[in-house]
Amino acid sequence: MTVAAATLHPRSRVIAATGVAALCLTAAGLYMSVTAPDEESQGEAARLLFVHVPSAITAYIALGTGLVTAIWYLIRRSPASDLLSAAAIEVGVLFTAITLLTGMIWGRFVWGVWWDWGDARMVSTAVLFFFYLGYLALRRSITDPGVRAVRCAVLGIVGFVQVPMVHYSVLWFRTLHQGPSIIRPDLANSTMDAAFVAPLGVALAAFMAALAYLVAVRVRIARLEAAVARSATTSQPVGASVYPPRLGGRDGG
Amino acid sequence: MNRRHILIPAGALLAIVVGFLVWGGLSENAVYYLTPSEAVDQRADQEPGYRFRLGGLVEADWLEGTDDGVRFTVGDGAVSIAVSHAGAVPQLFRPGIGVVVEGAWEGDTFRSDTLLINHDEQYRAVDGEGTYQVPTAGP
Repeated sequence: MTVAAATLHPRSRVIAATGVAALCLTAAGLYMSVTAPDEESQGEAARLLFVHVPSAITAYIALGTGLVTAIWYLIRRSPASDLLSAAAIEVGVLFTAITLLTGMIWGRFVWGVWWDWGDARMVSTAVLFFFYLGYLALRRSITDPGVRAVRCAVLGIVGFVQVPMVHYSVLWFRTLHQGPSIIRPDLANSTMDAAFVAPLGVALAAFMAALAYLVAVRVRIARLEAAVARSATTSQPVGASVYPPRLGGRDGG
Repeated sequence: MNRRHILIPAGALLAIVVGFLVWGGLSENAVYYLTPSEAVDQRADQEPGYRFRLGGLVEADWLEGTDDGVRFTVGDGAVSIAVSHAGAVPQLFRPGIGVVVEGAWEGDTFRSDTLLINHDEQYRAVDGEGTYQVPTAGP
């Protein structure tokens, strides 16, 4: 039936290939991160950079995907873009959490504290994280797919305003968190040795592949859930024929 | 569905209000620390014992251990302030590194009880120099 057809979809091969690519890139990135030289003053703690920075960039991109697909949903009302938006934001929340955790560990080693509420980068990232946790809570609290999609699209669009605020916080404010090393206003003057740029690049590619894989799998799960929900509502026995069957909420399937 | 017509604008409004509150809070903290020059300039306006954060580079010419911590000077190229810090120092503490100390004036010395390393965005491969040892109180 629908469920079996979805699992055997040819798209599955592409998804699986993305997963394998993510694993290979992760292995390469890990090897390069471990074999990179120590940093002059931070020592081993600088290796957290190879997880912290890629996960932050990946979170930005995931939330950006959530934004674009949410706008697309409001224009076209296509259920597929709603599912994609939700999946991207859910994975974005995961990467934001990884960013916060690795940042705290790095901070403990380098700054001497796990957290500082006076720092604009730390506080804005935490606000971003809790805002999007709210988005996930909102998704679970509404059952009607059409209503849920509209409200979540609005929230996903409003929330993205925070992403540039997080990124530029270190330039707008005097913070404990350091400024950008590579994506800086004077792009030509990277403050990072090439020995660190290569592992960082491979780690970023690994995180991107992981993002693509996780979002694709999450969308597939959401599709199967929707199919199950639909088959449950369309197979009511007695009296069901009195009402026209609903196939896709307000979108009409 | 008039609930929807109330909930969505209300939610968006709430998000914007919360955003502004947070933004206002951040702006108040926009000056996370004072530079040594600012600290000296603003000293006349401060109540005695006023606590603030002071940030700058640990200067290389004077750094010694004390009974309860370390004494050193923090400078910004123009002004240096003698800092007496009570407590342990983070592992990265050494001359030349950025620090943020929290405390208050005590005479012409800044008496600090919290010391954070303010690391910059430089990432340099190690060049084989030995690790730095923070001096302790002499005999």
